[in-house]
Amino acid sequence: MSTAVIEAHGLSKSFGSTRALAGVDLGISPGESVAIMGASGSGKTTLLHVLAGITKPHAGRVMFTPPAGGSIEVSALGETARSRLRRESFGFVFQQGLLMPELTAVENVALAAMITGVPRAEATQRAAGWLAALGLQGMEDRRIGELSGGQAQRVAIARAQVTGASVVFADEPTGALDSGTSSEVMDALLWSTTGQGRTLVVVTHDPQVAARCSRTVAVRDGRVLGSSVAA
Amino acid sequence: MNAATLRLLLRPAPGSTGVVVIPAVAFAVVSALVLTVVGGAQAFWSWTDQEALIYQVLAAVALVLLVLPLAALGGAAARLSARRRDERLSTLRLLGVTGFGVGVVAVVESTLVAVVGVLGGVLLAFGLAPLVGLIPFRGEPLGSAVLLAPWMMAAIAAGTVLLATISAVIGLRRVVISPLGVRTRSTPPTPHWVRAVIAIAAVAAGFAAGWVVPGIGGAIAVITGLVAIFGVGLLVLNLIGPWVLKIGARMQLRRAKTPARLLAARIVLDDAKGTWRQVSGVAMSSFMAVFAGTGVALMNVMSSSDPSAQDLALLTDMRTGLIITLVASFLMVGCSVAVTQASDIIDQRDLHRSLHYLGVPGGTVDAARRRAVMSPLLITALGSALCAAVLIFPLLGIALITAPLSLVTIAAVLTAGIALVWMATRLTRPLLMRAFAG
Repeated sequence: MSTAVIEAHGLSKSFGSTRALAGVDLGISPGESVAIMGASGSGKTTLLHVLAGITKPHAGRVMFTPPAGGSIEVSALGETARSRLRRESFGFVFQQGLLMPELTAVENVALAAMITGVPRAEATQRAAGWLAALGLQGMEDRRIGELSGGQAQRVAIARAQVTGASVVFADEPTGALDSGTSSEVMDALLWSTTGQGRTLVVVTHDPQVAARCSRTVAVRDGRVLGSSVAA
Repeated sequence: MNAATLRLLLRPAPGSTGVVVIPAVAFAVVSALVLTVVGGAQAFWSWTDQEALIYQVLAAVALVLLVLPLAALGGAAARLSARRRDERLSTLRLLGVTGFGVGVVAVVESTLVAVVGVLGGVLLAFGLAPLVGLIPFRGEPLGSAVLLAPWMMAAIAAGTVLLATISAVIGLRRVVISPLGVRTRSTPPTPHWVRAVIAIAAVAAGFAAGWVVPGIGGAIAVITGLVAIFGVGLLVLNLIGPWVLKIGARMQLRRAKTPARLLAARIVLDDAKGTWRQVSGVAMSSFMAVFAGTGVALMNVMSSSDPSAQDLALLTDMRTGLIITLVASFLMVGCSVAVTQASDIIDQRDLHRSLHYLGVPGGTVDAARRRAVMSPLLITALGSALCAAVLIFPLLGIALITAPLSLVTIAAVLTAGIALVWMATRLTRPLLMRAFAG
């Protein structure tokens, strides 16, 4: 087995008196798709936030190994360095898309690349390429309000990929979609990540979404109960 | 919906303090400014001598000028108030309350916030009255004459609350309260180029009048002509303003090389009329700064050969009145910008949090929203000053030669106003950063 792209040891995190994570150990290999499943309040979103460097754990550490090699201790980085790591190495897809309503589809995607320093023309070209690959050709200049929920999620997937992120974190990416659209979005998400040799970490409470991933990690009361590999 | 249910729904939600405080403070500022300005103006109404009429007319003009920025600020505060607590409003829709019923809750809530703010404003006006009383007119401080009679205070307070209620009703037309949430209507109306054609025609007519009027002779003819040109100017500004901002933003969008510039241009394009509403107060002020500044400078020159004590006092007082009006209007625009930006930040807090997750620097978004205000503001302020300059070109030319100090005054007023609005955009930065931090 190759070196883990994300490795977590003894993660603990509390919000006031509520313990969200209670000693989580987890390793994620490159090219894997991992579903983190659990009931509401089980700590799955907190785990995703800690793994992605959005928040720091109170105890434990998170290591990230980029494709170029050289491990980075994410949990030891300051806010600015973690922000930089997120925009350059990670991609994110949220339940509601959370795209900028003022921008067009292609601008929403290109903006993510521009923020990492890619010139606008090149960022736009890359963005258009990803939109086309995700079946949104001809919709580049549409505003987000003019897209359906599934189309908006595919724009969000393109945004997560345009920087060449090696790991994509998705928080309930199909939570606001019907089952048909949900399946299409998962197709797009898996094709654009593991299909390209990248890693996908999905937080979900939907067994159908989890079943599409190569491994499911069950979380309850801030602890990993176990993981099961897809047949 | 019965009164008990309404009372239950209007109870402040935990963590909603800022949502209530921001519009309440805005209403306090609005009402304090109105009470102060009207208080100052009414001091002239107690005068009965020959020159009193001039003071009264000028005070009335100043009050009329303040109506637009006041309405913009009142509207912004009301919209902020009405669009808050969106989850609660959409939950009501989920529970089967009609759109009208939800609208009633939002409007009543806005009105209550306005009442609290206006009461604070009355207290603030009382606190400001001794300072305003120190302003000299006719060589003497206004003194206690600036204090309004209780019935006038009550009338102004009620008027401000009424404005809040009306603005809330109008503001609600721009949002959709559905069971799935509260959102701004996605397609704001776009300004049409026909506006520009009408505006150019109006400027041409005003320009012609500017050449003809001074030749007609007679003080009353000149004043009437200038007031008419002034009115045309304001009309032109309001017609052409949103359209010009849209064109400017399109040009900036094409040239944008950084994320902040791209985002700023799109924010303006997304709602050019809304952007115009935000900065139109500065348009009026800079227009007036050129217009009135030139007028005062010319009158100063005309009376310099043999000025009577009365003439000198009138000129000094006109300059004082002009500065007070400008300061008040800039304060209102500054407040309006701060309130609108606070409203937008609160509206988009989920989006801002997600941008933080994506690793977008908070400074990029902050720079974009500041640029989305300052760029239209500069276009507006300079464009309005230019518009006024074209309309009174002959008079401005004379003033330039005979009283260059008037130009310095105009430039200083514009710079101060722009700086004030810039400061207002900085005020909401902590709120944005908090939204980013989640």
